[in-house]
Amino acid sequence: MKIKEGFIIRQVGGENIVVPIGKTGKDFHGMIKLNDSGAFLWRFFTQDHTEEEAVAALLNEYEVDEATAKADVAAFVKTLNDPRFVD
Amino acid sequence: MEEAKKLTIEELIEEEGKYVGPTVGVSMLPMLKSGRDSVVIVKKEARLKPWDVALYKRGEKYVLHRVISVIDGGYIIRGDNCYSDEKIPESAVFGVLSEYFRENERIDCAANEKYLRYAKKRVKNYRLRRFFVVPYLRCRSLAARAYHKIFKRKNSETK
Repeated sequence: MKIKEGFIIRQVGGENIVVPIGKTGKDFHGMIKLNDSGAFLWRFFTQDHTEEEAVAALLNEYEVDEATAKADVAAFVKTLNDPRFVD
Repeated sequence: MEEAKKLTIEELIEEEGKYVGPTVGVSMLPMLKSGRDSVVIVKKEARLKPWDVALYKRGEKYVLHRVISVIDGGYIIRGDNCYSDEKIPESAVFGVLSEYFRENERIDCAANEKYLRYAKKRVKNYRLRRFFVVPYLRCRSLAARAYHKIFKRKNSETK
């Protein structure tokens, strides 16, 4: 999975908020709030990676067990599996 | 990640306390450039003051323009790149710009001195700017119309 270009994460009041930039801003008017691991995964998936690679990266970055990491990645992918966000 | 909900900007501000997003259009140039900058709008908690940037609705469209003066029951509002004023009732204004991002630079509208100087100057120099810009825009428009007429005539003559 790879997240499309045209989005940027802004830190506002300690929160990670994904904002469209460039032409994407004309078509997408939503606001995506991410927690820290969500922001980590968003940045990770700006390059093309598999879910397995994301689980490994999450395990490497955070002190979580594999089941939690898998569940987090699955939830992230499920939520973002939308042609507006991914190639 | 949180579940996606479909909310209007007013609902989002009411629920989350803020809206973060892009801007579209040229009415707040040179401060806000469409496609480049992102704005952070917070809920209007008190009456706005001159130089605040208000978010309100004009019909179905959201408008983000600067408060020029505070009047009874509302505001006189104008875009930084506009040459006409709008009288907006208090009830139509529901948000205020608290900060914005110019590319990766975060600009706090309450504390950034450079921004505050800009806002003050933009309002103060309006008459002078209008004096030069409005005639220029009129001349440009007349020139464009004349060019279009000549060009169109030439084209129709050659056909």
